[in-house]
Amino acid sequence: MIITRPKSIEEILKTLELFPGLRICVVGCGICARKIQTGGEMEVSRTALELRSCGLDVLDAGMVKHACNTESWDALVEENPALAQADVLLVLSCGAGVSLLGRISGKPTLSGLDTTSLGGALKDDILEGMCSMCGECNVGIYAGLCPKSSCPKSQVNGPCGGSHDGDCEVGERECIWVKIFDALDSRDMLYLLDGIRPPVSHDRRL
Amino acid sequence: MGFAEVLGSGKFIVTAEIIPPKGTDVSGVLAEVSQFRDLVDAVNVTDNQRAVMRMSPLVLCHELAKTGLETIMHLTCRDRNRIALQSDLLAAYAMGIRNILAMTGDYPTMGDHASSKPVFDLDSVQLLQVIEKMNRGYDYQDNPIDGPTTFCAGAVANPGTRPLGPQLLKLNKKISAKARFIQTQAVFDATLFNEFADTIKHKGIPVIAGIIPLRSASSARFMNEKIAGVTIPDDTIKRMELAVDPVTEGLEIAAEMIDEIKPNCQGIHIMPIGGNGDTRRMLEMSCLK
Repeated sequence: MIITRPKSIEEILKTLELFPGLRICVVGCGICARKIQTGGEMEVSRTALELRSCGLDVLDAGMVKHACNTESWDALVEENPALAQADVLLVLSCGAGVSLLGRISGKPTLSGLDTTSLGGALKDDILEGMCSMCGECNVGIYAGLCPKSSCPKSQVNGPCGGSHDGDCEVGERECIWVKIFDALDSRDMLYLLDGIRPPVSHDRRL
Repeated sequence: MGFAEVLGSGKFIVTAEIIPPKGTDVSGVLAEVSQFRDLVDAVNVTDNQRAVMRMSPLVLCHELAKTGLETIMHLTCRDRNRIALQSDLLAAYAMGIRNILAMTGDYPTMGDHASSKPVFDLDSVQLLQVIEKMNRGYDYQDNPIDGPTTFCAGAVANPGTRPLGPQLLKLNKKISAKARFIQTQAVFDATLFNEFADTIKHKGIPVIAGIIPLRSASSARFMNEKIAGVTIPDDTIKRMELAVDPVTEGLEIAAEMIDEIKPNCQGIHIMPIGGNGDTRRMLEMSCLK
């Protein structure tokens, strides 16, 4: 699941100033953004309403099943005819969805959300920052708790000195290294952390 | 005597920290050092500490090295990838700098450029490995460098934080990566420090304990809130609150702490708030001078 956060309406309005007088269609995505309530029907309607209240020409808003995975632009228009009438698309999906629609629509296609990480959903709990797509996955040795994505400093050999009483020095979050240590300790598998881990090979992402 | 030799001599070590200017004039910091240089075995120069942008420590270390003073250059992984770290290490060596304190670095949001990119390409363990490789005449990718370096690399640790297990995991890796000494985060709880020191005593690595003389109760509270890794106990803050002369009280607390932990460490590292103006006084109070 791709984790997204809503942009402020002020930021969206500022970007839309680049396209004065054009008709806007707000598009939601039926997969991740809908699940985490950043780009479902409710959020799309709310955004459209806010833009209209600011005097912008906003068409009836709509959803697509998957913004990042479609047969063609025509297939999307069939799904949601307002897309064809719009001059500008404001997409409430992850960056991949916005990029795909931007490539196939032939229209200015803007992000209504910021994409922050790969995460998961456990029932109604949204788990952010589970993967940073480093291109070199070894989360298995860390008890499923990836320090490259969950530690702000991406520490792979243990916590920094800012970890205190299980809390991270950055923001309101737990130190992932304390959780990794406890999880492996409880499984009697701390030996998995033996040895010095090398840095990530960033060329593997090319 | 170089700092590496001092470490091996068994002498009780005193180091003190200076902060490069946020500007281009080094005269103020150099004048500060002249007030205490006879008291210390080496001067630590910080690397954009607390993620506040300042002059590179390279320049100050170079200036001080020219005067015959031993310096320990802090090098964080926050702002440079592995290419830039190695490039700065070569530059440091060419500029006469022989001692490096390798550390992760505070997160950018702690400082005055909160939105800057956190690099952390290497961690402090891997940085120590890089330095060790350079000392063998190679860069990180095993390409030969033109003449090996002879850096004496140190690591940092936080003896006041708990749980200790994850901290020791990292520290043991730093020792495996050939850290030659440890300088610690500021110690405000002798019991926690002594427990930490006992745990790693068998490793035989010199531990130089961090000391911050407090200036006021409010600055102590500020440090608890804003400085990563610093925990000042409530009773210490209370003592500062009740003090008629808080600065002297802070020096006394520091001096008492030094006396209390001295049997369990190989030296102290002074990290004064607002300069080293009282460093001599504190050392006199602690019977180190």
